[in-house]
Amino acid sequence: MRRDHRWRAACAALALGILAAACSPEIAPPPADMAPRDGGRFVFPLRAEPATLDFVDASDQFSALVTRLIGDSLVDFDADLRVVPRLAESWEFSADGKRLTFRLREGVKFHDGVPLTADDVVFTWRRIVDPRSHALAWLDGFLPIDRVVAPDARTVQVTYREPYAPALQAWAVPIQPRHLCEQDFAVDGPCRRAPIGSGPFRFGSWEAGRRVVLHANTDYWAGRPHLDSFVFQVIPSQETTLQALLAGEIDYAPLTPVQWSAYEQNAAFARRFDTVRFVPLFFYYIAWRGDGSNPFFSDPAVRRALAAAFDRDAYIGAVWRGRGRATRSLFHPAVLPTGPEGGMDPGAGEAEGPEAAARLLDEAGWRLDPSTGVRVRQGVEFRFTLLVFGGGEDHVMFSQVAQESLRQVGVAMAIERLDWATLRQRLADGSFQAALSGIVPGADPDDLRTMLHSSQLPGGRNYAAFRDARVDAWLDEARRTIDPDRRRDLYLEVDRRTRLLQPYTPLFYPLQNAALSRRFGDVVASPRGILDHYPGAAKIHIVAEAP
Amino acid sequence: MSGYLARRIASALPTLLGITLLAFLLLRVLPGRPGSAGREEGMVSAEAMARVRAAAPAAVSPAAGYAVWISGLVHGDLGRSEHDGRPVTTVLGEALPWTLLLNGTALLIIYGLAVPFGLLSAAAPGSRFDRLGGAFLIGLYALPSFAAGLLLQQWVAVRWNLLPLQGPPDIPAGAGWWQAVATTLAHATLPAVCLALSGWAFVARYARAVFQSALGRQFLTAARARGLSRTRAVAHAALWAAVPFVTLLATILPGLAGGSVVVEQIFSWPGVGRLYLGAIETRDTPVILGLTLLSALLVLAANLIVDLLYAVVDPRIRERLEGEPSGGR
Repeated sequence: MRRDHRWRAACAALALGILAAACSPEIAPPPADMAPRDGGRFVFPLRAEPATLDFVDASDQFSALVTRLIGDSLVDFDADLRVVPRLAESWEFSADGKRLTFRLREGVKFHDGVPLTADDVVFTWRRIVDPRSHALAWLDGFLPIDRVVAPDARTVQVTYREPYAPALQAWAVPIQPRHLCEQDFAVDGPCRRAPIGSGPFRFGSWEAGRRVVLHANTDYWAGRPHLDSFVFQVIPSQETTLQALLAGEIDYAPLTPVQWSAYEQNAAFARRFDTVRFVPLFFYYIAWRGDGSNPFFSDPAVRRALAAAFDRDAYIGAVWRGRGRATRSLFHPAVLPTGPEGGMDPGAGEAEGPEAAARLLDEAGWRLDPSTGVRVRQGVEFRFTLLVFGGGEDHVMFSQVAQESLRQVGVAMAIERLDWATLRQRLADGSFQAALSGIVPGADPDDLRTMLHSSQLPGGRNYAAFRDARVDAWLDEARRTIDPDRRRDLYLEVDRRTRLLQPYTPLFYPLQNAALSRRFGDVVASPRGILDHYPGAAKIHIVAEAP
Repeated sequence: MSGYLARRIASALPTLLGITLLAFLLLRVLPGRPGSAGREEGMVSAEAMARVRAAAPAAVSPAAGYAVWISGLVHGDLGRSEHDGRPVTTVLGEALPWTLLLNGTALLIIYGLAVPFGLLSAAAPGSRFDRLGGAFLIGLYALPSFAAGLLLQQWVAVRWNLLPLQGPPDIPAGAGWWQAVATTLAHATLPAVCLALSGWAFVARYARAVFQSALGRQFLTAARARGLSRTRAVAHAALWAAVPFVTLLATILPGLAGGSVVVEQIFSWPGVGRLYLGAIETRDTPVILGLTLLSALLVLAANLIVDLLYAVVDPRIRERLEGEPSGGR
């Protein structure tokens, strides 16, 4: 297939380090004679029900997917994770980088007909920073704000305490209607269970445990979305999701590598479904607790040695059938292109593999004891425990492969399987030696601050207890640096230093394969999937009747 | 009889309190903070976490927490879910009917097939029907419900398109009652069959053993010797066997509302099983306590109902209960 060749070529280029950005998704354009037409409904599966549809309190991924279609934000991210205007017609930073002024579009109305004004933007900011709110998904971008004012109905002025480069990211929050939500702090009030927004779709119904139905907002300022309705169907089981796709009950389904292998050669399947591929903003990593609470991981050389012992590519090839991408950088290629994947120290091109790992461990003073096959230093055997999420097949399988890789270099690793809540608490408490986990970084490189900055210990996501004055300084400066080139250079410094010191060992991105009904056109994928970008769902339209 | 009932209910109360106290304490020692939903980690800074924590209600001692919960319970208030903020009674009230529907259907399927099967097997023990049928049911018993669910979905729902694949029924507006019932049954059939698989073998073997021992009773042999027909003898045996079946009911009734995690997951059924799993994963304490209370109530209620049923089906027990206030035990 032509598309497949293009995809392979793109990945080959990526492997050669020519193409730094994430593999861009390849989706068939609709035939030229088929103009987008209005009508139809798109059914999208959700693994779990949203906790709330409150625009500011929504902090789980399912709530966020639904609310971003109902609500409208000042700015948003496009499929390449670039900031694009949405409700804001334009914006500008003041010369000192402390003031951000938005100019809103004219004639925007909420679904109840009330005009959306700068006042609603100010209200949304107040809601987020209100102690009664639980706006964990948005709060970080709003904490550096000193005040938000509305000089007139279409102007919003945001003043930051100091220059704040990632400022725009926060304004992807959907704007809440002040006239409806100001009094509504009830946890089951309409702003939470039946929200009114100004986005391309209006809320229709929410059947608990089953589905959320949205209808086209025919008065949308950018023109009505092509679809008549958008349905989020709750299907907890991955196997049932595939069967529902085959039965025509849903129009899109992310598939596992095993499911994909079962159907990729199937002609009938290919006739009905197109392929959507993307490198998601999600990666697996190992955190090494480096605060001296164990005799192993305070030494960066040891962390590098263990990282060198893992054969990520063999794992991806054997277990994921090639549908993953190894990474040595904590930064997603679409967030910060870090250049060729040269190893842990891109400058030196440091070797990987069991020999390199053994040499590094020897140099660090961990000598192999031939009688036990385990390395020893000052009478201490290299035996440690890795915590993993027992409910995640990939987490468990990789830990088992890693266990074998480490055994070959004389390191005895035990695996402790935990449920998610317990794993999170052990990570937060620092009561672990090493832990395998997954993380969803945001679209701005500043998001990694919470993993890397010494101020994020405890309370943030700095589970490794990483403290490095230089990384701290770069992260602080990058946050204040509005100039994009200078800012990128600072993050590249952070990338080099974290590869060298290896507080975390980034492992891989699971390449996402999804099947999409060929009835729909203009479905575009970003690293966040087919909905979490703009205009996203508003552009999806029917191209053909169901076969 | 009513005195007996009152005493039974009074004696159940301490048990109920004990169960809820135990669940409450278990949740306290369970690692993992409440509300930790989601499999993946988002990026949240220490400053943001500190701010949200500061606004959260202060932690109370287990004793005080339990006291608050009990006093709410007395007023019919089970608190609010920590996951979505809704009252626990609402959350339970939405899930329970679906589970009752599903498990009720499963129960009908189990008994409707297994009891006649047990009776026929017992009437002709060692026959081909008895041996092959028994082996078949054991085979079904051994089939894990997730595998059975997937096979049923793939063949019956997707390939043959005979029954709905997943989810509870959508009753179209303006549908007649018969249409509503038909749609509901169509949606409940596959998950109910899946639930029934393991029950069939159990109930059928149980029924077979009960009937066999009944058929072997001396009174039946005597009755048959006096010329009672075979059919009437079997009918007598069936009545005699009602008592053990009532006992069996006591073990099955609580499960009726308990929900099945696996089947509800596979068939996207928004019932109690899925609710339980989700609540435990997110450490949603009020919902877990509400569900525990519900299960405990059902177990106690089932025991009570069964004791009363004994009195209905067995005159000897009835006499003893009625004679109890004066004669004692």
